[in-house]
Amino acid sequence: MPLESNARIAKELARHGYNAEREAITLLASAPDSAAAVESVVDHAPDDALRITADHVRTVTTDRPVSDTDPAPTGSNPSPSGAESPDSGSRSTHESSPTRNTDKSAPESPKGQSPVEIGGSSSNRGSDSASNRGSGSGHHADATAEGSDTAGTAEGSNTADTADAPHHGPDLRELEVGNDMTGRSTGTGEYADFVRTFRDRYERLSKVLRGRVNHRPAEAIAEMPGGSDAAMIGLVNDVRSTKSGHWLVELEDTTGTFPALIMKDKGLADLVDEIMMDECLAVEGTLADDSGILFADSLHFPDVPRTHRTGAADRHVQAALISDVHVGSDEFMADAWSRFTDWLHTPEAEPVEYLLLAGDMVEGVGVYPDQDEELEIVDIYDQYEAFAEHLKEVPADTEIVMIPGNHDAVRLAEPQPGFNDEIRSIMDVHDAQIVSNPATVTVEGVDVLMYHGVSLDEVIAELPEEKASYDEPHKAMYQLLKKRHVAPQFGGHTRVAPEERDYLVIEDVPDVFHTGHVHKLGWGKYHNVLAVNSGCWQAQTDFQKSVNIDPDAGYAPILDLDTLEMTVRKFA
Amino acid sequence: MRQDDERYFARIEDRLDEAWDVAEAAKRQGHDPKPEIEIPIARDMADRVENILGIDGVAERVRELEGEMSREEAALELVTDFVEGTVGDYDSRAGKVEGAVRTAVALLTEGVVAAPIEGIDRVELLENDDGSEFVNVYYAGPIRSAGGTAQALSVLVADYARSLLDIDEYKPRDVEVERYAEEIALYDKETGLQYTPKDKESKFIAQHMPVMLDGEATGDEEVSGFRDLERVDTNSARGGMCLVAAEGIALKAPKIQRYTRDLDEVDWPWLQDLIDGTIGKDGAGASDEAAADADGEADAESAESDDTGDDADDATDGGAADSEAAEPDGPLRPKPSQKFLRDLIAGRPVFTHPSESGGFRLRYGRARNHGFATGGVHPATMHLVDDFLAAGTQIKTERPGKAHGVVPVDSIEGPTVRLANGEVRRIDDPEEAKEIRNGVEKVLDLGEYLVNYGEFVENNHPLAPASYVYEWWVQEFEAAGADVQAMRDDPHIDLEHPDVDEALAWAREYDCPLHPTYTYLWHDVSVDAFEALADAVAAGDVVEGVLALERTETTQHALESLLIEHVATPDALRVPVWRPLARSLGVDDGLRKTWEAGDISAAAREWDDGENAVKAVNEVAPFEVRERAPTRIGNRMGRPEKSESRDLSPAVHTLFPINEAGGPQRDVAEAASVMDDTGHRGRLDLEVSDRVCPECGEHTYRAQCPDCEIHTDLHYECGDCGTVCEPDEAGRVECPRCEWEVTAATRQEVDLNDAYRSALGNVGERESAFEILKGVQGLTSRNKTPEPIEKGVLRAKNGVTSFKDGTVRYDMTDLPVTSVRPEELDVTADHLREIGYETDIDGEPLRHDDQLVELRVQDIVLSDGAAEHMLKTADFVDDLLEQFYDIPRFYEVNERDDLVGELVFGMAPHTSAATVGRVVGFTSAAVGYAHPYFHAAKRRNCDGDEDCVMLLMDGLLNFSKSFLPDQRGGRMDAPLVMSSRIDPSEIDDEAHNVDIAREYPREFYDATLEMPDPESVEDLIQIGEDTLGTDEEYHGFGHTHDTTDIAMGPDLSAYKTLGDMMEKMDAQLELARKLRAVDETDVAERVIEYHFLPDIIGNLRAFSRQETRCLDCGEKYRRMPLSGDCRECGGRVNLTVHQGSVNKYVDTAIEVADRFGCRPYTKQRLKVLDQSLESIFEDDTNKQSGIADFM
Repeated sequence: MPLESNARIAKELARHGYNAEREAITLLASAPDSAAAVESVVDHAPDDALRITADHVRTVTTDRPVSDTDPAPTGSNPSPSGAESPDSGSRSTHESSPTRNTDKSAPESPKGQSPVEIGGSSSNRGSDSASNRGSGSGHHADATAEGSDTAGTAEGSNTADTADAPHHGPDLRELEVGNDMTGRSTGTGEYADFVRTFRDRYERLSKVLRGRVNHRPAEAIAEMPGGSDAAMIGLVNDVRSTKSGHWLVELEDTTGTFPALIMKDKGLADLVDEIMMDECLAVEGTLADDSGILFADSLHFPDVPRTHRTGAADRHVQAALISDVHVGSDEFMADAWSRFTDWLHTPEAEPVEYLLLAGDMVEGVGVYPDQDEELEIVDIYDQYEAFAEHLKEVPADTEIVMIPGNHDAVRLAEPQPGFNDEIRSIMDVHDAQIVSNPATVTVEGVDVLMYHGVSLDEVIAELPEEKASYDEPHKAMYQLLKKRHVAPQFGGHTRVAPEERDYLVIEDVPDVFHTGHVHKLGWGKYHNVLAVNSGCWQAQTDFQKSVNIDPDAGYAPILDLDTLEMTVRKFA
Repeated sequence: MRQDDERYFARIEDRLDEAWDVAEAAKRQGHDPKPEIEIPIARDMADRVENILGIDGVAERVRELEGEMSREEAALELVTDFVEGTVGDYDSRAGKVEGAVRTAVALLTEGVVAAPIEGIDRVELLENDDGSEFVNVYYAGPIRSAGGTAQALSVLVADYARSLLDIDEYKPRDVEVERYAEEIALYDKETGLQYTPKDKESKFIAQHMPVMLDGEATGDEEVSGFRDLERVDTNSARGGMCLVAAEGIALKAPKIQRYTRDLDEVDWPWLQDLIDGTIGKDGAGASDEAAADADGEADAESAESDDTGDDADDATDGGAADSEAAEPDGPLRPKPSQKFLRDLIAGRPVFTHPSESGGFRLRYGRARNHGFATGGVHPATMHLVDDFLAAGTQIKTERPGKAHGVVPVDSIEGPTVRLANGEVRRIDDPEEAKEIRNGVEKVLDLGEYLVNYGEFVENNHPLAPASYVYEWWVQEFEAAGADVQAMRDDPHIDLEHPDVDEALAWAREYDCPLHPTYTYLWHDVSVDAFEALADAVAAGDVVEGVLALERTETTQHALESLLIEHVATPDALRVPVWRPLARSLGVDDGLRKTWEAGDISAAAREWDDGENAVKAVNEVAPFEVRERAPTRIGNRMGRPEKSESRDLSPAVHTLFPINEAGGPQRDVAEAASVMDDTGHRGRLDLEVSDRVCPECGEHTYRAQCPDCEIHTDLHYECGDCGTVCEPDEAGRVECPRCEWEVTAATRQEVDLNDAYRSALGNVGERESAFEILKGVQGLTSRNKTPEPIEKGVLRAKNGVTSFKDGTVRYDMTDLPVTSVRPEELDVTADHLREIGYETDIDGEPLRHDDQLVELRVQDIVLSDGAAEHMLKTADFVDDLLEQFYDIPRFYEVNERDDLVGELVFGMAPHTSAATVGRVVGFTSAAVGYAHPYFHAAKRRNCDGDEDCVMLLMDGLLNFSKSFLPDQRGGRMDAPLVMSSRIDPSEIDDEAHNVDIAREYPREFYDATLEMPDPESVEDLIQIGEDTLGTDEEYHGFGHTHDTTDIAMGPDLSAYKTLGDMMEKMDAQLELARKLRAVDETDVAERVIEYHFLPDIIGNLRAFSRQETRCLDCGEKYRRMPLSGDCRECGGRVNLTVHQGSVNKYVDTAIEVADRFGCRPYTKQRLKVLDQSLESIFEDDTNKQSGIADFM
């Protein structure tokens, strides 16, 4: 089975200091004696080459008697991919997958096993995710099943794709990063920096709400005659319940604070559960007779408009959204990772041109007490070296974007800038883009907001279980979208580094919101925005065992950038 | 009781009565909140229990029961009384249960600690899901001070009362059971438990507990699952409940079971499963546990359980050594334990790494200032560890207990050092230590560490092999046939320090082991080193009686490890006393080696893997050589000793409120002169009590009506409906209409200026009599009763300050002493005769100042600072009597000798009962020396604990319950009752384990080598327990070791004299380099790991989620105001955590990590943190440019 060795070939080439095109690797893998082929490619590669191209390989392999490659570049591909495609084709139809999964995985040799596609944690719950998944599989069927099921007839669209776009011309790619604050941390930890940060939050988020209510500053409201209608936009300063079971929400703007009373029987009380400190809200209502308090009639979150229109790639191209690799931990799942990177070398994975990593590349040092006892690799630089090695298994022409997480060697306070030069130089293989947490990555027209997700812990702790839980992390993400801020609450779990602006505000509505951190897989759509929390590559740790958290490890959500549908593949 | 003891107590009680009468007369005048003395005298425990609880009739019943049964049984017996209503006046069933539970806890804590009143909030009846009723006991944090047994028994008592009252059992809901498990784990994480039950155990307990354990929230962290339960009104951990479930029920299950067996009504069969430990160990649980153990000891596991765990380990260890006897064997040794090194912090040095050679050597015995959780250290050692140790300094020890207070003992061996001039010398004189300490290059050995047998009993720690010391040898010598008595009488023979010829002759003639003076530490050198040394000695020369050896590294190292005094010159090692060494090496006086390599048996060669040459020595030496110091005890510094006045912060002279008007200093004079809008000075709107004069009906805040001069009564007016209410019998005041609690506190305008001026006038003092008079911002007591300002004026004049309850206090570290010399107490034999001391410890009449007399149980020795403070207090009290109460002066002290014989109160934190003590003398050590029974009566031991003394008359006159804060724990630390005499049976039984023998028998020393449990030799050594309840219980406290002066060594630990943290840490690391028994890299690593990193990480975390505060008005903001300025006053708002406090240790930590070669892991953590700080506190776009930019 040549396929399984794709990643190994890439690694082998990397050991010799070469990066390699995906096609080159495919060619090498299909050579009768891959190892020899690799060796001779290395021997014959031009001195100045950094990257092994398909041409290099052909030059070498055509010297040999094996007469295959030339006329149709896909000629060598069909046999392996053809053999595989019925599996993958049928697997992509979700409904049948459970039984098929077991059928397939058992008899096959572990090496030859191709990834199992699964429904993911959210598939059984919540109507929105269900429909999402439904259409997802539908789409996938379009892409592959049609061809492979009808067997011989031209290998379907799969091969056609490959033929049409011979290994993704980089020229078609578009990738832009917004909101990156790496190298732009201007805060010096002064009081004024904090004030500036919160003011910026207020200004940008109040803008979102301004059209919806006829707001007045706190100062002005206090001067208004009792009984008049008033509205205010402010950051939540305090929420408490009154003796009689009503809720008092104190809002603050740049002129002062004003309390709003939310009656328990008004139907708004439910929303109070969702309110977190320091998020931006609008309240509309009637002033009390003494103008001392506002009786709330309605409550507005900045929210994502229901009319949000998403961008899309104008070709069939995919991005893998992963996070929490935790290289260096005793529990890092190297095998699952290799299965994933192997799969990336298969034709099936050819559209996957982007890899977006939402933090925690490594397990880090000193993250919790006595961590060194649970580290496979104790040296932080060695951890990044090892991570870089694992990253080399990813096809060389994949575009990679990563942000740091709370285990990485950057400051814990958010926003977190991308890695320093020392660590970047360790991971320079793929020329990956390393940007801040959070950052918005625009991939061929699709805006992906990447955030590691530390605030999810807090959202889950503060909100009622049905609105946010570890089992459905995407629902906690909906709340952040609704608040248009990735970590609203100050003073709790989330740490804030003051900067000249609040980089944590979600000013522009993204098309995809990608987080990690909680090691649970979950996705769903909220007002047309796809929220994905992408699981991890670290098996259950002793700590997780002690608090009974069962992580979703070894999953790779794959996003179609042209349709924004998603499928999740399992590699563990 | 002996006549002599009767006289002693009568003497104390006479003086107490004298003071009582004076104080009573003063109080009767009505200037104080109550017109009577508020500290009742308790004759015995039953009295204390009744007084603390305030339940009438308890004392009588307790006394009845006491003769018949144990205290625990009495507690259960009392349940019937409460249920039947014969004791206590409770109408409700919940009240009856509550009374019974409180009484049980009070009984079991001897009526001393505050747990029964502060630790149990209430008992209530709630409804099960099936409609039946159950009992809910609501615990609070202070239940901790009751200890596990009393906690557990309180539950049993509640259940017993429940069954007698025919109330149903608690039927927990599943979520509640789960909640218990989560909560106990959370509490353990947050606060720490002595014993942490596994989740399964917690759930098991919760499922079977017949009453509900509940309590108030004690922490900020909340549980993540099982929140918002209907019957649990908090999401935080309920500390009291967790303690009772974990340290009470789970840990003390065997004890409770003993009592459930005797009760028909109560049946807790499930306890057996807890005891057997089958819960949480079956199935998956077992593997979990195994995994945790394999992980190298569950860290979270606590002290107590750890200790027992260790003991078990030790035991099995010993066993293992035995069973492996077929293999190359080794000596029996306790297993080294790292635990005492945990949480090492900067500035507190390590003295000995676990069981490390060169460290403290265990010597058995009790010095007269020793026992009860203390360790004897030679004063020369104290100086040579750079003065870090002083009398009273706490050290954390490897064994037998967790911590010791250090006491100076100079009758044990001092340290051995190598000086810069090459000389290796043992230092047995503290003066010599001070002289040479600048020249010390290495401390090769810290000398001996004296631990008494009772310490092992108390900690239930197997005895560790004893050092070979004089008191052991002499008994062996006698047993070998020597006429020791005759030799003792012979002025030419010094048995303890014989000369070489004598020692060698004795060993030969009597076939007795070599005298310890010439027994070297052969167990610390390898067989190879031993052979090499023998060869070196054989090859040496004797020049003018001194043996000169070739200087090689192995030889020098061997001599240093053996602790042989010598001088190293550039090419030779000169050993003046060499014959015992040569003999031990099998080399005769002609320097001929008498053996060949083949003569050493394989067993000796492989003994302890060849690392221990003691067997080899015994094969070649012509006499028996014992192991000189087989047990080393690791330790490090804990808290420094303490001797200082207890001041509130900021200090307070008078408990009179002045709001914000006094400025940050709380200056009453300033507050009295503040002008208000109307132009009046000192008119303040104060929250004080409303009182009414029974005569004229006038309202005032004063305790005495200014017009009629009679005592006023508190006036309770309901704030809502205006009803005037009366307190009920329990002292609670409830408005009958509004059904809520009413207090007498009201806001009223007070003319402070007038009050202040008239107070000065009343006592005839001018403002110039004191520098400043400080009041309080507000009162925290329920009725906000202020103190007369006059008292504050006189306190300020005499330079003392008040504690929250109106008393003047002085804190000292506790140390024990059982015999004293008048001269060391800075008093004369006359002084002591005056207060009733007649004979010395040998029964000779007391005539000379240097005679040793046995200390009486309630006599205490004040530190110099305490004496000075008591003098000031005495002056204050006298002024108060004369100038305020118009009564003759009581103390009339001129110099501190006048304090001898005066009474004081001793009182420990977290307790509510004071013990009367009598001043017997003074010491320059910064500690309070007293009889161990006195400390135990206060419920303290001496492992670094501290507590306070108050002057008796001050307490009688100025203490009032009315001043105590109206909050949880407010009644802790207040003398709600006093014990006038100590009954040894009613003190903390830990003190009963102090041994009182004058010598330990040979059998004991022999036995230690087998590391038996201490109980197995209990017949050999008398302990306090043995005389309990006899006429001998108050005297006969013998000791095995004398010490020249109980105040030897430095007066203060260097920890207190060195400047800032950096200076302390440098000294700590410097010392680590100097001590052979300490690994300085490990010290540096631990300081970084346990002190610097948590500090940096904690402050960094605090920085990024901090509060802010207005610099002008002090208003706090959870988050920075958007306006930037203070919303209250418009003032400047600023951060509460600044850059400076976050990164103060970073550079030092990095430098230390570098200098001491710490692990890369540690260095990288520091580097990552350093970069984080840079990232937060530096502007990327405006970085300091380096010089390279300009090249």
